[in-house]
Amino acid sequence: MKGYYAFTKKELLEQLRTFKWLIILSVFFLFGMMSPVLAKLMPDILSGMEVEGMKIVIPDPTAMDAYGQFFKNFTQMGILVVLLVFGGTLSNELVRGTLVNILAKGMPRPVVILSKYTAAVLLWTVGYLLAAATTFGYTAYLFKDALVSNLVFSMFCLWLFGIFVLALVFLSSTIASGNFGGLVLSAVALILMLMIGVIPNTEKYNPVTLASVNVALLSGTKEVKDLIATVIITCLLTVGCMIGSIVLFGKKKL
Amino acid sequence: MAILELNKVSKSFGEVEVIKNLSFQVPEHSVFGFIGKNGAGKTTTMKMILGFLAQDSGEIRVCGEKVAYGNTKTNRNIGYLPDVPEFYSYMSPKEYLQLCGEVTGLNKELMKSRSKELLSLVGLDGANRRIRGFSRGMKQRLGIAQALLNEPKLLICDEPTSALDPVGRKEILDILSLARERTTIVFSTHILSDVERICDSIGVLDQGKLVLQGTVAEIKDKYRKDTLQLEVAPKVNMEQLFVGLKKLPSVTGTSYNGNKIDIQLANAEQYGPDILAFLVKEKVPLLRYEIMEPSLENVFLEVVE
Repeated sequence: MKGYYAFTKKELLEQLRTFKWLIILSVFFLFGMMSPVLAKLMPDILSGMEVEGMKIVIPDPTAMDAYGQFFKNFTQMGILVVLLVFGGTLSNELVRGTLVNILAKGMPRPVVILSKYTAAVLLWTVGYLLAAATTFGYTAYLFKDALVSNLVFSMFCLWLFGIFVLALVFLSSTIASGNFGGLVLSAVALILMLMIGVIPNTEKYNPVTLASVNVALLSGTKEVKDLIATVIITCLLTVGCMIGSIVLFGKKKL
Repeated sequence: MAILELNKVSKSFGEVEVIKNLSFQVPEHSVFGFIGKNGAGKTTTMKMILGFLAQDSGEIRVCGEKVAYGNTKTNRNIGYLPDVPEFYSYMSPKEYLQLCGEVTGLNKELMKSRSKELLSLVGLDGANRRIRGFSRGMKQRLGIAQALLNEPKLLICDEPTSALDPVGRKEILDILSLARERTTIVFSTHILSDVERICDSIGVLDQGKLVLQGTVAEIKDKYRKDTLQLEVAPKVNMEQLFVGLKKLPSVTGTSYNGNKIDIQLANAEQYGPDILAFLVKEKVPLLRYEIMEPSLENVFLEVVE
């Protein structure tokens, strides 16, 4: 337990001193702020680009568009940022050999993985909350009818998807070697999941669904109960990835 | 009691058998020099002792406890200094030692006093900046400090001096000499003068086998060729002296070059006085009389051939 506490503290210090907090918080804040602002300004921007003889007619933007922007930004750029920032958390230490000293002191290997995961989850959660709160605040300020259905659940789904992606990165980093092995492998795994999503009737069992139904949830075309199975499966897969990563890391040559 | 015990350990990487049936023991409070050429299997052996690599067969015990691959409890008794230690470059030495202390579960007070003591032992007490800017020698010294932090019963150093300049090497050896009072040291190297300076006993590893083992004095004794070297004044008639020496019953062989004569004897200490008596009788002006010591270097080259 002492080792877990100490190593988590080290991870947080590392995130702070290697500017990961700065990057995540500023990028996520930007996403949170830009989404409603862009939605609001989109008609003006497009009308500025009016081509002679053609008029682009766009309905007045609503809060739904603002959240739509938010989810679009996050499921694409947001997840990419997460991959880039956390892709090296484990790989870098394995490549550089910085873990050797720590493990030679009798630190249990599973604790290393759990500490690192804790710190990554913490940063993702704080960043995501900041982005969500910013979007919520700006949307409420810019749009009168800021009411949408299932907002909290929809946001929760994307958060959970992030948690899953982090676990996937950890598993990939223990499987693939090299600086970017983990990053590439998890990207490949995500793309595969996206492709599987094309097959009908699989979406219920695919974690990627959590990052694609967000707007449908808001508009009410999807209900919370439609996604319970996906949430449970994603949780199980996350735990599975972590167990796999701990087992594989325990067998890794250093 | 033996702190470290290897019993018929073997390890292959694919087709290549790196360690073959290796057995040796390191008694408490000694400095064991683990010598071998590059690629002899020194680092592999050390990694197996630390549980970072699995042996194919055989058994390793640290303080009587069996080493298990992957997640070994025996590591709490071990301090390890890798050949090129890597640290978290964004930390200061003090922060790094604090992390190490917390990981091993030292209490705060003890950790503070000990990290202060160790940093002054390795001469880093003034270095408050981040590890990023440290030289190799400084990193090596910090490596020793972190290895000694939990007062290990066994300190394993993997070629701690190989990459350093003469000053850095001397510093590391001095620190290790100080550390030997607290712990048992296993120290791998291919620099033989380092071994002669601080090791009590050595083992020479060649092609995965221990080809020589014993205390430094024992080994030198065993490989002593019992050769005397004499240097006489230039005016002496060498031819005449050479013929005279050859006739002595204790001399088994002799040769000369300029005014230096090498004399082989069955036992240099026992028959040395006969030679001296002969020289006195012949009134030969003697400049130098020396029983040749075998250097570890020669012994090493002889056994690894």
